[in-house]
Order: sequence, then structure tokens, then C-alpha cells
Amino acid sequence: MIRQPDGVSLAALLTPENVIFLEGKPSKEEAVRQLTERILPQVSGLIARKALFDRVAEVEKLNPVLESGFYIPHAKFPELDNFHAVLGLLPGGFIDPVTGINVKAVLLLLSPHKPAFFQRHLNMLSLLSQTFQPELIEKLAALKDQSAAAALIKGK
Amino acid sequence: MVPNPKFKQVFVLSTAMLSFISFWKAASIVLCDFGSSAYYAGGIAMNAFGPAFPWFIMGVMLFSGLMLGVYTESCIMFVRGGVYVVVREAMGKVMAKLSVSALVFDYALTGPISSVTAGLYLGSLLGNILPLLHINWHVPGRTFAVVFALIVTGYFWLENIRGIEESADNNLKIISFVAVVAVVLIAWSGVTLYSRGFTLPPFRPVFSHEALGWTVNFPWLRTAGLIGLVMAFGHSILALSGLETLAQVYREIEDPKVQNLKKAVVVIFLFSVFFTGLLTFISALIIPGDLIAGKYADNLLSGLALELNGPYWGRLAMQVAVVVSGVLMLVGAVNTSFVGANGVLNRVAEDGILHDWFRHLHKKFGTTYRIVNLIALIQVLIILVSRGDIFLLGEAYAFGVLVSMTFNTASMIILRFKHREEEREWMFPLNIKYNNIYVPVGMMLVLAVLVSATGMNLLTKKVATIGGLIFTAVFYMIFHVSEKMNEKKARFYAPDDDNDEKMNLRREADIHTVVPELTKTRRILVPVRNPNNLVHLTSVLETVNDDDTDIIVLSAKIARGIQSGGETMSDEDREVFSAVVLLAEKYGKTVKPIFVFSNDPFYSMAQVAQAAGADEIVMGVSGSSGAEIQLERLAMAWGMLKKADAPSKPVLAKVVWEGRQMTYQLS
Repeated sequence: MIRQPDGVSLAALLTPENVIFLEGKPSKEEAVRQLTERILPQVSGLIARKALFDRVAEVEKLNPVLESGFYIPHAKFPELDNFHAVLGLLPGGFIDPVTGINVKAVLLLLSPHKPAFFQRHLNMLSLLSQTFQPELIEKLAALKDQSAAAALIKGK
Repeated sequence: MVPNPKFKQVFVLSTAMLSFISFWKAASIVLCDFGSSAYYAGGIAMNAFGPAFPWFIMGVMLFSGLMLGVYTESCIMFVRGGVYVVVREAMGKVMAKLSVSALVFDYALTGPISSVTAGLYLGSLLGNILPLLHINWHVPGRTFAVVFALIVTGYFWLENIRGIEESADNNLKIISFVAVVAVVLIAWSGVTLYSRGFTLPPFRPVFSHEALGWTVNFPWLRTAGLIGLVMAFGHSILALSGLETLAQVYREIEDPKVQNLKKAVVVIFLFSVFFTGLLTFISALIIPGDLIAGKYADNLLSGLALELNGPYWGRLAMQVAVVVSGVLMLVGAVNTSFVGANGVLNRVAEDGILHDWFRHLHKKFGTTYRIVNLIALIQVLIILVSRGDIFLLGEAYAFGVLVSMTFNTASMIILRFKHREEEREWMFPLNIKYNNIYVPVGMMLVLAVLVSATGMNLLTKKVATIGGLIFTAVFYMIFHVSEKMNEKKARFYAPDDDNDEKMNLRREADIHTVVPELTKTRRILVPVRNPNNLVHLTSVLETVNDDDTDIIVLSAKIARGIQSGGETMSDEDREVFSAVVLLAEKYGKTVKPIFVFSNDPFYSMAQVAQAAGADEIVMGVSGSSGAEIQLERLAMAWGMLKKADAPSKPVLAKVVWEGRQMTYQLS
């Protein structure tokens, strides 16, 4: 399994409950909105709903889609002490209007906004983009089951 | 696997100026011109004002220390300096064009006077050696000198089209050999003087009719007292030619630049005093006066070797060493005249006063070959016109050197007032502080000497005055017309930048073909985008030792959907590289500029850094996104491109801006 030097691991982060399949052909905004709904329970009590949606909508415009067809909208919040993530798999994919790339995997990542955590935040971004290469994304998008998807990620 | 290639085109900038030279090499380039006058200045001065010549040659060499001081201050102020830039800054373009036109006249003469002298020395040696070999051929001195001069000029014409680095190496070898010969000659001369005793030469100059020039029409100006001294000094000042070359090679000097410049200046001064000054003086003590004026007039140091105490074979061997060293140094001066004139004309061309046609770069060697061709052509014409007469060449010489030094010194004085706030790393000594101005009393005294000598030379050296004025006028017109043509062109197309850099760009199919050129143990990648935001590159150049570190400067042009491979650099892209080259020159550190077309600059950074095995990536802060987002995007690109089996080498990513930096480790 690909693991960062500081012990950042995807296995703990992407449990079957944190993987969802987004059916149909949602737009980029809609996909991110659905993932935000899904992540909200993880951070409720820490971040207000409106603050979360507003911030995610903001970063959704800033964060670019990677050439591999993987998209990581990510936001930092001072209220958090750990990573929170939800992975959305889109069998139909959507076309990123900026790059024209077909996106079949979107991972919403929330990180603590603390200077001491920034190195781990960078490591996590690097790890995610290293892990989610086109072959894995295609395999994940072809699956139907969240547990199988989580297991496949764990096995990488 | 990444589906799309990140960039289609890689351009590598490979201009010759991006490698830097040691102070020894810089000093040797200057000395090959400046020091070579030892072989002819004494004879020419003797011809002009008689046996007092060694005092004045020594005086000129001591005065060179002061001029080196003036040039040191100007070089530090203007990395790409020289008389043109300094005078333009102080007095404006018209005076700058005049001063540089005069200077080109001197460079045009330096080659011929040096190569003809070398031919005369060689001819004299052959005249002694051929009879010993029972070869019955009378060497026709001047004809032989002309043929030899043409061959030498042709050789260095080709060498300069190939580029400076090789030439600088040659110069260092030449000067090292000359130094050894000089030490032996001085030691042997010391023994001879000890056994023979000596009489100091007279101090009072006795001028020939030709040396008086137009002053014969002004009897009150004749030779007496201070006027006579200035007149003789003016006739000896040709020994000072070559200092402008210091300004031309300063940009090539390696880090630490200012300290290395000072070291080069000390080396040049000591060498000149002991080599040109002392050997000329010793020659006058050892060689009988009639032989200096006759047999050895155009090969004085050969005469010194042959007039030493000792067996004939020993003296002949010494002459061989003197001639070989002299020929090497004098032909080195030919090279320096090419390098110097090329440098001067490139500076003026960058300022738009020489038509762009001259700056076209050689496809293979990246040199401004059309300027080199022009210099070669002028030198060949002068050699042919002189017909090997060293005194005619000497008579014409020194016009440009005096005019340019006078303009340069006057400009440096003006700049003390005009740029009073500018901090100077070094100042010419003898200053009086008045309010916030350092009044340059020392430089004013130097200027007084130069102005006196220039004025006197205009009257006494007819050939120099007429030839110099005509040549200066012609070159001034060329500059003037070029400037007008460039202005017209600028109105229709794009404005020329002040520091527009002609670049030699090599197109590569892939970044991996560039990697083998990176040979140092550490590698730092410095992405650049905005020519006005190079704080991060400055910080790297200030702190990194380029002896063990490759500094890769990457500029990535955003080109969406690139596919064809036919992309070209725009003027804006070139402007970025010009700024990079200027900065590298300022710090004297070697950089490897690479330009890529990419659809994402962060992918390019990650790809180049991974391909090159970079240890650090140093970015400037982006005004639009900010340091954190830059690092996030780099981290994502880094991870996406990283192969699972790649070695986990720690790579530092830094974002640097004024007074701050963020450092993180990519993994």
C-alpha cells in the first residue's frame, strides 16, 4: 500500500461508509454538493452547515481537475483536528468544463487549518493524486459495491 | 499512466554568457591586450621622443592603477557596462555614441598593431635562426609581418565565431607562459646589470619632428616643462590600451563577483608594472640607444634578450622564448580585440543603436557572428593599409583609448552627483563627503590628466586625430542611422526593451534529453514566470554554490491543448529569460534556463524536478493564488507523476518572497 512517511494512510480515511456511487450524469457542482451532504455528519457540531457549503463551493471553483481524471476539492477549517473525506465514484463521469477531462472520481477532503498540519495536508494531497491513477479510477467506477471499492483502495 | 503529455516542446537556452570564468581567466583576457603593448610601446615611444621613453612607459603603467580603480567602480555599478552604458547614463546617448565610436577605432587598431608586431618579432627571430640552419632566405620583415598578421586575424576570426570560453582558456595559458619567460628575463637582466652596471636614462624627452604634429605651428607649445611631459605621456599612452576589455569581461566573472573583480584588477596592475613597465625600463638600461632606435625599434624585447650577458646560444634561446611568448601574447591581443569589440558592439546593439541585423546569432555556436565578421574585415583592411609599418599604426593608436577613458572618468564623476543615493560597493579613493555626496576629488585629478593628454594628443598625433575622427564619424553615422531604423521598426512592431537579449535556443523533444547535461551533485529547480518577480531566483543565486549545484531555471508557458509541436517563444517569454540571464550575470553564477510549453505549470515543475532528480524546488509567490495554494497544486502534481517504485528522495519545496519563505517537504 502507498503510504506517506508521516503515516498518512487512505485505509483509515476511506472506509466503505465514506465511499458513494453517484448515479447518472451529475455536473461538477452537483457532485461536490452531494459529497458535501455526505460529509456533513462527520463534522456536524464542529462546522456549521452553511459555513461548510459556502467554503466547499468556494474551493470547488479554485481546485483544478487533475490530468488523471481525478478531482480533489479540498478545504481547510480551523475547527478540525483530523482529516475527513468522502469519495464519490461516477460510472458515467462528468466533463470538467475547464479542462475537458472526463472525471469519474471525486474526493472531498477537509483538513485542519493549522500551520503544524499543513505538511500532512500536502502529503495527503500528494498521496491521493499518486493513488488515484486512471487505471484505478476505471476499476473503481466499474464496481457496484462500496466495500469492494474501499478494499480495492486499501489494496493499493 | 498519465493520459496526455504535459508538454510538447522544450527549449533550452544555451548562450555562451551563461558560463562564468575565474578572475585569473578574466585578468588574462585583459592582459593579452593590455600587457601586450610591452612588445611595441617602448620602441614606438623611443621613436617619438627619444631615450626618456622608459620613464614615461613606467609612468603610464603606474597611472593604469588609477584607471583600473575608475573601471572597478564603473564595473561594479554596471554589470553590463563599459564606456557606452556608463556615458549614456551620465551624459546621454549622443555622447555615449561618440565615445563608443572612438573606442571601436581602438579595437580596430589593437588587432593589427598586435599581429603586425608579432610578425615583426617572428621575422627578426627567423633572421637570426635561418643562417644557423644554412637556409639562405632573407626574411622580408614587413611583408612577412603582414602575411603573418592576416593569418592570425583569420584564425581568431574563426575562434570568436566559435565562442569565448575556449578563447579564455587559451588566454590563461598564454599569460602563464609569458609570466614564466618574463621572470627569467628579469632575473637574467638583473645579473647582466649587476655585472655591467648601468646609467639611468635621461628624463627630458626630445621629440622627433613627426611627434610634434601640429604643435610645430605653435612654438610656445614646444616640449618644455609640464607641456613636454604631457606630450610625452600622450605618446606613451598607447601602452594603456585594453582597459575597456575589463568592463566587457566583468559580466563573465564568476561569483563572488566584486571580490574576483578586485583580484583581477590587482593581477592586471602588478603584471603590467612588472612586465610592461619594468621590462621596458630594463631594455633601456641594457640595449645601447642606437640599437633601440634602429635594429630593435620594432622588436625591443628581442633586443633585450640578445643584449644580455652570456653565450650567444643562450641569448638566442632567450630570444626564442621571448618571441614565442610575445607571439602568443600578441595574437592573444588580437583575440581580445575581437572579444572587446564584439562586447562593445553588442552592448550598443542591445540599446537599439546598432541594427538588429548585426546581432543575428550563429546557429551552431550562438555568437554574434556578423559583428565578428565586421571586426575581422576592418582589421584586415588596416593591416593591408599599414603595410607592416608599426610606427604608422602606433601613430594612429591611442585616440580611442584616451577618448573613451576620458568620457568614462567624466561620467563616473557625474554619476557621483546624479546617482548620489546609489550605494556603491567600492569607490575610487580620495573623496570628500559633502551632505550626501562623496565628491570624487581623486577621480577629478585623474580626469585632469586624461583631458590634458587627450588635448595634447589631438595636436601631436596627426594620424590618430585624422583617422580617429573619420572613423568615429563613420561609426557614429552607422549608430545614428541604425537607431533611426530601429525606432521606425519599433513604431510598427513592438518596442525594443532596454536589455533585449539575443538568445540561442535549442529545441529538444523531451526533458530527458537535457538531463545528462546536469552533472553536479545537487540540483535546484527555480520556476520563473514574471520578469519583475525574481526574488526567489535572487535568493538562490545569493546563497547557492554553483560549483556543486545545478540551478535549473524553468519557465513554463501555458498552452492549452498543445499537440503540434510547432510552438515558438514570444517576446514576453524572451523577456523572462533576459531577466534571468541578467540576474545570473550579476551574481556570476551558472544557470540552466529551460523553457517548456505546458498546459499546467505545476505539472511541468513536478515533471522536470523528477526527471532531473532535483533536491529543491524554489518558487516565487504568486499574486493571484498565494503560497499555500501553490504548494497544494505542486503536491498534487508531484503525487500524480510520482511512480510507485520511485526512490523516496526528500525534495524541499519552497515559496520565497520579500523577507519570508514557506518550506515543505514533498514526498
